Amino acid sequence: MSLFLERFVNGLADGSIYALLALALVVVFRSTGQLNFAQGEIGTMGAFFVSTLTLSGLPVWLSIGCAMVLGFLVSAGVERIVVRPIEHRNPGAVIVALIGVFLAVNQLVAMIWGVDARSLPSVFPDDADDFVTILGAPIRIARLGVIGVLIVLLFLLWLMFNKTKIGLGMRAVANNQESSNLVGIRVGSVLVIGWGLAGAIGVLAAAMLAPSAGLTGTLMLGPFLLASVAAVLGGLDSPVGAVVGGLVIGLTEAFIVGYVDFLGADMLFPVMLVILLGVLLLRPSGLFGTERVERV
Amino acid sequence: MELPIRVAKGSWQNWLGRLVLFGGVGLFMFRAVNEWSRSGLGLLADALIIAIAVTGLNLITGYTGQLSLGHAAFFAIGAFTSAMLVTGKVWTPFFTDNIWTPGWTFVAAAVVCFLIGMVVGVPALRLKGIYLALVTLVFTEAVRAALKYEEFEGVTGGATGIKGLSYLPPSWTGLDGRADLVTWFFWLSLAILVVVSVLSAGLLRSRIGRAMVAVRDNETAAAVMGVNLFTTKTLVFGLSGAIAGVAGSLYALKLTLVDADVPLFGLFGSVTLLVALVVGGAAQNWGPFVGAMFYVFVNDFARSVGEDPSNSVLFGWLVDEGTKLNGLGGVTFGVMLILFARFVPFGAVGTMRMWRSKAVLVVPRVPLGSGGGPSEDVLGESGAMSAEQAATNIDSAEPPGSSDEDPPGLAT
Repeated sequence: MSLFLERFVNGLADGSIYALLALALVVVFRSTGQLNFAQGEIGTMGAFFVSTLTLSGLPVWLSIGCAMVLGFLVSAGVERIVVRPIEHRNPGAVIVALIGVFLAVNQLVAMIWGVDARSLPSVFPDDADDFVTILGAPIRIARLGVIGVLIVLLFLLWLMFNKTKIGLGMRAVANNQESSNLVGIRVGSVLVIGWGLAGAIGVLAAAMLAPSAGLTGTLMLGPFLLASVAAVLGGLDSPVGAVVGGLVIGLTEAFIVGYVDFLGADMLFPVMLVILLGVLLLRPSGLFGTERVERV
Repeated sequence: MELPIRVAKGSWQNWLGRLVLFGGVGLFMFRAVNEWSRSGLGLLADALIIAIAVTGLNLITGYTGQLSLGHAAFFAIGAFTSAMLVTGKVWTPFFTDNIWTPGWTFVAAAVVCFLIGMVVGVPALRLKGIYLALVTLVFTEAVRAALKYEEFEGVTGGATGIKGLSYLPPSWTGLDGRADLVTWFFWLSLAILVVVSVLSAGLLRSRIGRAMVAVRDNETAAAVMGVNLFTTKTLVFGLSGAIAGVAGSLYALKLTLVDADVPLFGLFGSVTLLVALVVGGAAQNWGPFVGAMFYVFVNDFARSVGEDPSNSVLFGWLVDEGTKLNGLGGVTFGVMLILFARFVPFGAVGTMRMWRSKAVLVVPRVPLGSGGGPSEDVLGESGAMSAEQAATNIDSAEPPGSSDEDPPGLAT
């Protein structure tokens, strides 16, 4: 039972990180209708920036804040400079441009910070004896902290989307860009802010992941894939879906690695494929996604 | 003379244009074989192999409009099929000693990938756009994981893969065994690319080809017009996968080994194929060739930029002490992709075609004596009208003079 609880909390913590990344993907998808392939890499860059700042003596929480600002600026810049000028938003060309951003950021990180793995301090107490015992299971405080971060961020996002004018604008643009433009919403600024927000959330996810996973250039590659699976599972235009999808994927991963010996971590993706197909064949737009109605 | 010049499809001017194009590419190939270094020719062969796989991807993503990030899986399955058959890892009822001639494994790879592709095509009936792309992407990673899985080690070689493949040129080619291996793979890839391109061009002119384009342009309308979505999608996914599979087995034999960690067999491979397709021009018959050449050679150029020590003067301030500039090549390539997407959004071939159409326009030939209007004879011959013919007739059912599509050859 205690082992089950430990695995459950670890799964939830990993799931929270996937949920954060999936949220970032959903925010971008709602505004631009694209999967942001560079999301993970911008996060990795932010995590390395955190490492540089903490090494120079800044407290960890402040470094993460600064890195989130950097993530905001980079991601907003990608929207304004790379994505928007592409003629007619041609989907193929946007995908190629985002793959270009992915490559460039990935290799830029390797150039600036080298290829050696680093360790990143956690913002929560993370020494060997920092755990609480719940029902006999030792639960690390840092893992609980990650889940807490997700809950706080969800609350803030809910406030922003539902109680502020900019949030209203973002919902309107997600619903219908042309009409939003007609009623006087500055669609351009809303898109830039949406992408920037996604970049900042991505950096937060990377900074939460790096202390337990180790900081390398490929930190976010696996999590990005799982987060996209989570976002699709929940419905690409649904924030609730992203969170549910992320937690489901995190728990599935923890239980497969923990309990199904003959599959283990190596066969994670075949299992994901089965889950994804099972859900999408019943609900083609994901669990919480809005179904598109087409007229001919 | 007024621009654009109109040239009728199938007229001698049209054929002359094609001759110049094919002649130019052929000349380039001959020069490459005779004058390029072995490593350069190896790169060219790689580009041709990628072009074959992209030709397959073009069928499903370019012409049928189903975004697939799963073609690296077919590439890998083709490669492993060849490797397993050549080394006799699996029992087969044909070919004594269980060891296949490498040439026949292309056929086997095509059949295996066709069947798997048909199955992959089934989800495409329900899923659209990014959803389908993500499912096929997870399919790629799932196949890679299965190929690496230790329980299957007896067949796929597990994490170490299968080594020691070889495909020496047969004696009738006059090539000298190991010395001319690169030349042999170059010709083989070129021949297969030509065959595959001709077959895919033929497919596009057939009933299935028209159905593919109809599905891409508007799936619901196509279904209403009587296109069978199930048959079209599964069949085209199968054919597309089969072509990628043949490219994969060619790649495996050229590489002489397969293992699940070969970059082109995973996520990176799927992305490579898609980038090559978009950069060359989706739904363009020369797109895969141009895109693959761009990908391989520009990537090589970017790497040489990264390895050039003189560039460390420019970027040295950015770099940590002790780390090399090896990232600069990747950054260069990434920036080039961004610029390409910005300035050539419809791919190299699509953009070139747009420019060319300002000077020379290829227009369909109009039956003799019809004067630009619909011809009774043409409609009478075919009996039933297809949707496309019906649409054309509606467009041209106006007085001949008012049509902006003048009869070809008469424009001055």
